[in-house]
Amino acid sequence: MGASTGAKLSGMQKQVLGLYRGFLRAARTKSPEERRQIESIVSAEFRRNSKLVDRKNFIYIEYLLRRGKKQLDQLSSPDTVGLSYLNVSNPQTRNS
Amino acid sequence: MAARMALLKHLRVSVVRFAPQNPNFNTPFSSLGNLLQRRRFSDEVRGSFLDKSEVTDRVVTVVKNFQKVDPSKVTPNAHFQNDLGLDSLDTVEVVMALEEEFGFEIPDNEADKINSINLAVDFIASHPQAK
Repeated sequence: MGASTGAKLSGMQKQVLGLYRGFLRAARTKSPEERRQIESIVSAEFRRNSKLVDRKNFIYIEYLLRRGKKQLDQLSSPDTVGLSYLNVSNPQTRNS
Repeated sequence: MAARMALLKHLRVSVVRFAPQNPNFNTPFSSLGNLLQRRRFSDEVRGSFLDKSEVTDRVVTVVKNFQKVDPSKVTPNAHFQNDLGLDSLDTVEVVMALEEEFGFEIPDNEADKINSINLAVDFIASHPQAK
């Protein structure tokens, strides 16, 4: 799904990019070290899925979008610091 | 006929009587005042637009500092994907970096359209909140 070649973005691509933007915005609200860590984890995850997931696998992409939105909601809470996010995302990275 | 005359007379009188009391009587002046105020405001806003060549310089610097970009390829006319080899995720990161450089938030629907340095400069230079 990832490397789009300059053509117009599909609705789903826009959603994915919007989600990515949301994560980067949420990361800005954390401390500088946490922010760097969150950014590297999030960008690695998006990039991994952009290579791994077939761009026509809409059902799976929709599932990833929903899961991402939930994780973003958790991350956006001011109570959430990067560490608790790490605990959430690491097992998934290993599983998939 | 008499009734009509009476009606007309009544109307005429009532118009004369009402006119001076009409609260809208002052509108030409107050609306002029509003207009002037609005003008002054819009001039202030215009004054805060950034100079386009300054915007170009700063955008080019931000893009050059982006780790995946070869700084020698960055020109004011460069296209993020065609010339700099960035993908759509990189483009999101560049636009986010521009947001931080210029201190304002670019809404998603605008950010999705920015795919070259020229478009970024145009958008930022036309945005009054850019610092």
